[in-house]
This record gives sequence, structure tokens and C-alpha cells, in this order.
Amino acid sequence: MLELFFAELRCSWIQFRRYPVESISQIIFTSAIFYGLFVGAGYVAGSSFQLGDRLDSLVVGYMLWVLVNFVMANIAGGLQSEAQTGTLEQLFLSRYGAVQVFLMRGLAYLTLEVLKIVIILFIIILLTGSSLYFPPLLILPFISVLLGAYGFAFIIGSISLLLKRVQQLIPLLLFPLLFLLTIPTETWTGTPKFLALLIPMTPGAGLLRSLMARGDSLDLITLTIAFINGIVYFYIGISFFKVAEKQAKKRGILSGY
Amino acid sequence: MIALEAYSLKKTYRLNNQIVEAVKNVSLNIKSGEVVAFLGPNGAGKTTSIKMMAGLIKPDFGWTKISGINPHKNPSALENIGAVLEGNRNVYWRLNPQENLEYFGVLKGLTHNQARKSGIALLERFSLQNKRRTPVQQLSRGMQQKLAFAVALVHQPKILLLDEPTLGLDVEATEDVKVLVKEIAASGCAILLTTHQLNIAEQLADKIAIIQKGEIVTELPTDELIRKFSGKTYKIEIESVLDKERIAKLDKINVEVEGNRIIYISQPELIYQVFNILEPLQIKIVEKLEADLTQIFLKLVKEGNR
Repeated sequence: MLELFFAELRCSWIQFRRYPVESISQIIFTSAIFYGLFVGAGYVAGSSFQLGDRLDSLVVGYMLWVLVNFVMANIAGGLQSEAQTGTLEQLFLSRYGAVQVFLMRGLAYLTLEVLKIVIILFIIILLTGSSLYFPPLLILPFISVLLGAYGFAFIIGSISLLLKRVQQLIPLLLFPLLFLLTIPTETWTGTPKFLALLIPMTPGAGLLRSLMARGDSLDLITLTIAFINGIVYFYIGISFFKVAEKQAKKRGILSGY
Repeated sequence: MIALEAYSLKKTYRLNNQIVEAVKNVSLNIKSGEVVAFLGPNGAGKTTSIKMMAGLIKPDFGWTKISGINPHKNPSALENIGAVLEGNRNVYWRLNPQENLEYFGVLKGLTHNQARKSGIALLERFSLQNKRRTPVQQLSRGMQQKLAFAVALVHQPKILLLDEPTLGLDVEATEDVKVLVKEIAASGCAILLTTHQLNIAEQLADKIAIIQKGEIVTELPTDELIRKFSGKTYKIEIESVLDKERIAKLDKINVEVEGNRIIYISQPELIYQVFNILEPLQIKIVEKLEADLTQIFLKLVKEGNR
């Protein structure tokens, strides 16, 4: 499996070096959207526009949203484009199995995606004046969000495998995802808070907002919940994908309609 | 050594509330170094059969084994399969040939170093060394197909599955592919190729299985198949075009008409009846033929349709 990971890593860096315009335009476009929203909000609010911690919280949420988008584009979008171009069946001929291939690919591309996110974050901080904390422990809730993101991406990937066209589905999911990752569910109480813990990635996102925007210390109970949330959605995603693979082979639609 | 076994493969699809039997009953055995051609018209079930054997489509009934391992039950069987599929790119166009070979080599179970070594050897064997650093999208169609072959062989599989390997290729590229197939078989790899191009099957295959409507209608060694139908066939070519009435009369006595000018008579006793039907049309050629695969194929497919 390590050989597979390094093979995917090599591929991802080859493509990044060979087609840098794609990554550069992604970075510029993503930074510009946030800055545009920021300037727009400032115009609407007028001279009293002071977000403080709330801006920092929004920045963290937005960056997580960007990361989830990258993960979805890589797995679900990747599946669809491979089916269209005709390399998907070769992946299913791998002795590692499709799940391992896409998982290792996802992890390998993550190195590039994290680099892009760090650059975008840096640009947004410069443009908006946001200030964030970067405690080393943030890696733990970050992993829990990633687990949920991969699980979610595999669920969408399963749909892509069976229906082949998820181009309309992905944009439809973008805005609910943005909502999920930017609203401060960690400040809720009672039943809404409990429900929020069941939504994918939300507990981990809340923890990251607390750590990075407000400089709070890491709450171990919420971290445990975030990991359980991430692992459960990851397991659901992988299971869905295995079922989708079986169905696609049964229906003979692995490559196309 | 048996490289591929398939037993009673069956596949049915539900399409717009209709049941389509894509494959009814396909069984096959291929030995190491043997080239078997699946010959059949479009929609006969060739691609579905080959994909069931590769583990890409789950058969409704029957089983398949690659060197004794069922690819639907044990993914390690995939280490022994290489495939070049029709309608697919099979390789990544954004990478160059060397990168493709290294990547797919690892995907098929090799280490990076093994994949690299195997890739270099294959690039040389397939005369692609000069293009090894050219992105695949800039290569000719023929070179892309050769690379697809190389990628399918990078892990030295026991069986190579080729779905319409010469489709869309020009004459030169087709000849290259034919040479490659013969070389690969000579090195001990078993090959199953599907084609609707009769001359490809005739030139490359040791054994031909003619498939029609999901079933194998005949399976014989190539020369035996041709010998079975040879020596008795007459070909008559006329100057003008046959009218519908004459075509109907010829069809009634079970004589093949091709392109409204050429008549094939596999039963010599009918030849004078045919002359009577053709009178007084001008005859261009009358000759005794060694039957080729075209005629055998047309005859068997027509019988299958009846």
C-alpha cells in the first residue's frame, strides 16, 4: 500500500509541476471569492463593520470548506472524469482494489491540497487582517474533519459510480457544506447542539474554530466526539463505495452507461 | 498450462423494462501462448464476455478463472491479467509513457523499481524510447495503442485481453499491432482478442470462437475452421447488378449473395441451378475458392439469425 501511496504522490506532483496554471488559478479564485464576500459584507454593514473573532471563525470555516471541495473534486469528480476519459476500468483492474486506490490517491493529493490551503489562508489573512492561532494540537480535530470529508467524498463517489453524472450534484452540495462548516455550532446549546454533533465534519470544524479563532484550549470530550463522527462517516463512505462497486459490476456500468 | 478458464458465463440486463440476454452461455479455455479470437458482429456479446473474464462485470451465472484464481472472488487474480479495452483511453494522457508505465506497474502490484525496469524494457521493445517523455496526448493514435499494450504487459500477466485492438488504427499501426500480438504470444502470454475484423482473426488466432447473440456458435482451430469449408466453394462475379427477383431465387436455394454482384456457392451441385437463374446476364468471373473466414462467418451468423 505504501508503494501505491508513493506512486500516487509522484503522479500528483508531476501534474502540479506540468500544469501549474490550474493550481495557481484555484488559489487566486478561492482567495478572491472570500475577499469579495468580505468586502461586500463590509459595504453592507458600513463603517461599523467589525467582525473580530467572528471573521477569524469564518476564515477557518471557509478554509475547511475549500479543503472539503478539493477532497470531493479529487475523489468524486476524479471518478467521474476517469469514467468519461476511459481510464476508470484500468483502476478497477488493480490488485489493490478501487477503494485502496482512491484512498491512497486522496491522501497523496492531500499534500498538495494542504499546501494550496496554506497559501490561500495566508493571502486571506493578509487581505482581511484576520488573525488566527496555530497550536500544534489543531492537527487532531483537523484529522477528524478529514475523515468525515473523505467519507462524504466516497458517498458522492458512490453516486458518481452508479449515475456517472454528478456535475449538478456537487454544486448543489457546495452551499449547504459552506453553511455547515462556517456556522458556529460549538456555541449552540441543547438539542440543536446534539443534532449538530451528528452532521459530518461539524464537531471537528467547531473545535478548529475554537482553537484557531478564539484561542481556546482543546476540549477532549468534543475531540472524542469529533473522531467518532469522522470515523463513522468514513466507514459509511467506504461501505457505500464498496456496495456501489458491486452494483456497478452487476449492472455492467463500471465504465459508462 | 491453462491461463484462462471460463465456464457457462451468462449475463442479462434489464433495459427499459426489457430483458436483454447479452451473454447466454460462454465457455472457453486458453492455454499459455495461445491466441484465441472471439469473432462476432456488433452486439454479439464479445465485450461483455471479455469484461466478465477480467472481473469488471459480474456474471449472473458461471465462473471464470485466471491461472486457477477467480477474479470476482480474489483480487490477486488481477495480477495475472492485462487488458486493452475498446472505447477507453487505457492510459493517462497528461503523463508521458514512462510515467504511465511506472504508475500502472505499481497499481498492478510491482514495486516502483520493478515497474521502472519493466517500463524501460517495454519502451524499447515497442519502439517508444524516443517518445518516453512526450505526454501521451501528443502521441499518434498508433503509439497510444502501443503504449496501452505496454501498460497491459508491464507486470508480465499470464493473459492479455484485447477488445478490438485494431479498431480506429491506420494500416501501419494495425500491422504493428499484429506483429506485437504474435510476439507477445510467442513469449508465453495467452491472448484473448475480440474483433469483428475477420482478417485480423484469421491472421492472428490459433483458435477462433464465433459468437452470435451471446452464444458461441462454433469454436475451432483457425486452419481447421477454414479447412472445414474449403475446397468446394465457387465464386461467380457478374458484370451488371443482380435484380431483386434473381436475388430472391438465389436466396431460396441457400446461396450467398454479396454486394449484388458476387455469388458464393458452397454446394457445388447447385452451380448449374445458379447459372440458370443468372442467364442471360454477363458473367465476369467463375472460380473455385478456398473458403476464407468471411464466408464462414457470414454463413454461420446467418444460420444463427435463422
